[in-house]
Amino acid sequence: MRWVRAISSQVEEAAETLGGKAVGLVLLHRLGLPVPAGFVITTQACRAFLRDGRLPDGLDDELATAIADLEVTAGRSFGGPRRPLAVSVRSGAGVSMPGMMSTILNLGLTTEATAGLAVETGDRPFALNSRLRFLSSFASAVTNADAGGVGNASDAGDAGDAGDAGVGHGEDPGRGTKDEETRLADAMKAIEEFVRQRSGQPIPDDATRQLASAVEAVFSSWDTPRARTYRALHDIPHDLGTAVIVQTMVFGNRDDHSGTGVAFSRDPNTGENIPFGEVLFGHQGEDVVSGRSTTRPLRELAEREPAVWAELLDALNRIEGHYRDSCYIEFTFQAGELWVLQVRPGRFVGGAAVRVATELAEERVIGRHEALLRISPRHLRQVRTPRIASSEEADVFARGLGACPGVAVGHVATTADRAVRMAQGGALVVLVRPETSPHDMHGLAAATGIVTARGGPASHAAVVARAMERPAVVGIAGLTVDAGNGTVTAGGRTIGDGTLITIDGTSGEVVLGRPRIVANAADEHLHRLLAWADDTSGDHSRRGESQRLEAAHAALRASGA
Amino acid sequence: MTRSETHTTNANLLVLHALRCAGAAGPARLHAFTGLDESDVESELIDLGAEGLVTRMSGDMPCWLLTDTGRAADAERITDELTSANARGAVEAAFDRFLVLNPELLDLCAAWQLRTVDGIMNANDHSDPVYDSRVLDRFADLDRRAAPVCAELSAALPRFGRYRDRLAGALDRAASGALEYVTDSTASYHTVWAELHEDLLATLGMRR
Repeated sequence: MRWVRAISSQVEEAAETLGGKAVGLVLLHRLGLPVPAGFVITTQACRAFLRDGRLPDGLDDELATAIADLEVTAGRSFGGPRRPLAVSVRSGAGVSMPGMMSTILNLGLTTEATAGLAVETGDRPFALNSRLRFLSSFASAVTNADAGGVGNASDAGDAGDAGDAGVGHGEDPGRGTKDEETRLADAMKAIEEFVRQRSGQPIPDDATRQLASAVEAVFSSWDTPRARTYRALHDIPHDLGTAVIVQTMVFGNRDDHSGTGVAFSRDPNTGENIPFGEVLFGHQGEDVVSGRSTTRPLRELAEREPAVWAELLDALNRIEGHYRDSCYIEFTFQAGELWVLQVRPGRFVGGAAVRVATELAEERVIGRHEALLRISPRHLRQVRTPRIASSEEADVFARGLGACPGVAVGHVATTADRAVRMAQGGALVVLVRPETSPHDMHGLAAATGIVTARGGPASHAAVVARAMERPAVVGIAGLTVDAGNGTVTAGGRTIGDGTLITIDGTSGEVVLGRPRIVANAADEHLHRLLAWADDTSGDHSRRGESQRLEAAHAALRASGA
Repeated sequence: MTRSETHTTNANLLVLHALRCAGAAGPARLHAFTGLDESDVESELIDLGAEGLVTRMSGDMPCWLLTDTGRAADAERITDELTSANARGAVEAAFDRFLVLNPELLDLCAAWQLRTVDGIMNANDHSDPVYDSRVLDRFADLDRRAAPVCAELSAALPRFGRYRDRLAGALDRAASGALEYVTDSTASYHTVWAELHEDLLATLGMRR
């Protein structure tokens, strides 16, 4: 085949052709981990599409063959009325472009296939929900607009750094009720109408045409002005193109033993050697960080799905063994069966990076010289950022994305006016808002820290927080702010205006009360690492930490390490 | 029905609506927002205060803000204006185009504030003029694409014309070295852009 490769342990090509995500999937195959069957359309096909404005000749046939293989593997039929095959269609460039590339889930769920899925599973709301997911992700991709809000169907928020596995919507009104079916039908109708208006064409009700459109949409998303600007800013060549990954869908919303999540092999906030992440039971989704649902700490998986948990730990171990570094995965479990959807190295920063490199050297996974080379002086700049000492001993109220590093302690204010009044009365204030707008500017200025339920690292709140140098946490799934009553609710707990909270703008934690705060979380590890640095450079004189590290780097470079 | 070309917003509504879009503000910022002289702004504020539509907040930085009544009055008057200028279709179309540009603008602001080197993100300390000018070039590029959207808006409702001037002014000042005009000052590109976003939502009676 010219444009398409089946994803297996046999594939040899590099990220330049397959994209980074597919290379990760090949690795998972090689490690013997469970990966949904799939294939990748190469970046060459994307480059041909961008050059000619249409999919390259021969791709149609190759897609048909590749889909036929998936049908055989799964024992299902694509768009068929019985045992339908649904697939995910995801971008996978050689470089990361967070939040900019399209993902389409549950593709192939035509009207007929959806009816078939309902019969097969005996769960009509599940089938309709899955089709709604398809429609809303397809609509967002082909219109290049966020269709998430259309018909209140989906949770596609504007949070930035996103994986593609993820966690879906939260507000299911009594599953299986007639009301729910009506709601789903209305939402689907609204999305189909939205696409007809925006693109002048209906969403195809033919699985093969859905696939071709989705592939075109993902290729096109490489070349939006926003994506071009992002590449110009980050020195990424425009001619790389993206690959497209098509995989058999696994359903985290299938039943009570299904769900989805993300996991790091070690804690990315501290570097401590315990798995860390989030899980959402009974949902499938698109984006674990932007969903409107409340995720649960990863360790709850151990209690609720011990078999899945054991498999997950094994997977994390094997992947760490391969990378000789911390790792990150996205996963779904369907009816008690684990599937790994994406993998990459952990890419920790600051103190967490220092701790992991030091501990890996002590575990003799890597040498001391390699540990030194993994830490750049840029990491050291972040080691001294104040942090909440330990999320284990703190009472974590909610967790979002850290948008401006630092710790702020203050009393909750749910409106800007209240924040100003409380600050004038001499109180330290943390402003907690659904999101911010110019109306909140005087409150933002009066506050010592900022929390928003919505938004990502480039939201209005995040930009303003950094401009004002206020620690900030944004994008907290499941946090609701009732400014009228002056209350904030998350994870089933409600706190009121005036409650003392502490926020950590690095980890994204919102903690009740005033926990222990440290400015040297990785102190011991840093001391050990810098002692190795002095041994390496042979210079034990007193000087700054960066200089000690740089001298070691220089010595290693000189010796050709 | 008044044609949109001839529609001008009266000073009273301009000041009221400026507070709706900019949030709490003093006469200097309202002057920048509306283009009215500060003395005219103050006189309108006094009238609006007498009507109970705005209130003065004292403190370190005295400023004015809308009352709930003022917010409702603004919604009603600004909708009337949109209807009588027959401008809803044009503003809606421009808003759709604005929403395509908005995430890109926010990406640019983030890139101005945070810089990723070797995979590690740190605050941009503005010590590398090459990087800063690359980001500013992208701002200028976005601004060129935003210009026709602003032009459509001011053709539909002339009061939108201020945004073009203020956005271009912020970029000019940033390019000549006043870096706070990108994201940090109350007249920064980001601030003006966010006010335009809020104005579009308020004008169309939409929520975020």
